[in-house]
Amino acid sequence: MNRRKLLTLLGVSPAFLTAAPAGAQPAEKAGSVAPANSTGLLTAMNPAIAGKLAERFPLQPRLNALDGKTIYLIDIQWGGPDAAYSVWEEVQAWFAQNMPSVKTVLRRTTGNMFTDDPGMRKEMIDRKVDAAIVGIAG
Amino acid sequence: MPIRFVAFPFPVAGQPKSVHKQYVAGKDMVSGKPMMQMIVDGLTRPLTEQEQIKGMPPGAVTEPRLLAPDSEDNLQRLFKDKEWTDYNPIIIPTEERVAKMLQGTSHKPDEVVAKINLTGGARQLTVEKVAIAAVMAGAKPEYFPLILAIATRAPFGNSTTSMANMIIVSGPIRKQLGLNSGTNAMGPYNEANSVIGRTFTLMSKTAGDLRNNVVAWESLGNNLQYNNLCFAENEEELPAGWDPLNVQLGYKSTDNVVTIGTGWSYISSLGEAQRSYPPHMLMGDYMRALSAFGSAATIVMDPTVAGLLKDVYGFKTKAQLSEWFSHNVEKTVASYWGNGVIATTNTALAIQGLEPFASWKKLPGDTLIKPFDNPKSIHVVVAGGKIQTTWFVTDFRFSDGVLVDKWT
Repeated sequence: MNRRKLLTLLGVSPAFLTAAPAGAQPAEKAGSVAPANSTGLLTAMNPAIAGKLAERFPLQPRLNALDGKTIYLIDIQWGGPDAAYSVWEEVQAWFAQNMPSVKTVLRRTTGNMFTDDPGMRKEMIDRKVDAAIVGIAG
Repeated sequence: MPIRFVAFPFPVAGQPKSVHKQYVAGKDMVSGKPMMQMIVDGLTRPLTEQEQIKGMPPGAVTEPRLLAPDSEDNLQRLFKDKEWTDYNPIIIPTEERVAKMLQGTSHKPDEVVAKINLTGGARQLTVEKVAIAAVMAGAKPEYFPLILAIATRAPFGNSTTSMANMIIVSGPIRKQLGLNSGTNAMGPYNEANSVIGRTFTLMSKTAGDLRNNVVAWESLGNNLQYNNLCFAENEEELPAGWDPLNVQLGYKSTDNVVTIGTGWSYISSLGEAQRSYPPHMLMGDYMRALSAFGSAATIVMDPTVAGLLKDVYGFKTKAQLSEWFSHNVEKTVASYWGNGVIATTNTALAIQGLEPFASWKKLPGDTLIKPFDNPKSIHVVVAGGKIQTTWFVTDFRFSDGVLVDKWT
């Protein structure tokens, strides 16, 4: 049995026998990487895209205290109308028990978590609502 | 803008009221302090200097066009560390290779293909950036117009719900590029299907800056995102009267069109069609398992199934079959509203009084409704090699197709 046939039976390609001189640069095959310069290093193009920075807006001034204030508790309905509503009910119950002078109003948005609710915002402005807590994701 | 927030433990949705009570009585996951104390604090603590800053930030975030020269191995590692790949080896996008890819289109490298607004700031996906991703995935320049058309929909659907995508190619370009629409059309047996689908993943990860637990928050993830179910319709084997997808979407049959859909899952027929229970009825049964979000379903069937449905069961067009599904597939109200995506999105529509959601919301839970109420959202696509009468029922939904010929 010649050497070529033996290697074929062993599952090794006879082509594997072909030796290259030490230090030779292998020829580029389809899809292989060709060195870009004599140092053997490659210069790659950057796939990342810089994000444009957004304009910053300051937060509204905080309230000195919550006594006598009206706070909207706004459920954005992430996960459906029942997903987090009872969390809000518990928050409302906490205020009733621990800060009874605070008036809380529990509301759902008319859209979903991805949509604005300008009607709700207008309602809060018209009613001179002092603060709002918005949530809950998950 | 900095915001003040507290974090409840996960999950919130689906938990009983008693657990929600504990959450409110418990601690904020961010600060570790009592939850309600932190809520009150967030409303009353004076603003910090940082919270009062306004205007544009100084400087700008930039990305160099070229990366520092390095070895092949180091660059492969860098691309993985940056989460720019799918963790399979890539072709390093040298300038020469990207230039060659750009020869596949007449469009300028700096032309904006898509504007993306996600976490991390607005980004512009240019022709050149798409070419970089195409090189990385192993694409040929002749694929590039199709890849650019797909890029108009980048980044791919990405959601905590573990979303996936489907890419279907119609028109003569299928044959010109060697896309597979026959045997194994949806499997790893074709270069064009594989590489073009992969390119959408790579461009989406870079364009959307989709990094695990940073911007990408899919709870389970979706394995279909590796290739995005990229295949072509077997237009040559459509039964007479069954229009190809491009024609159904309002294009000419000679138009090269790619359609990109979002969905989550597909269900296989598992075996051959049976005379005792026609395939469209079994498909309808399987559709009940879908959410019916957007009234959407896409049925991908072997040409042999399409032939049966036309010749034996009398569906002369795809549209007739879609109508049948729309009129016959039923779910209970409880099951329909029991899906989180439906509950999240369509409840809001019901509250606004929009039909049929407002009426469905009022019905008892065991009432049967026909949730696939828009037959135009039920797509029928023919692919496969006529090996077996098998099919997939999927929940992928499509909007308009994209004309590939605009990107040559």
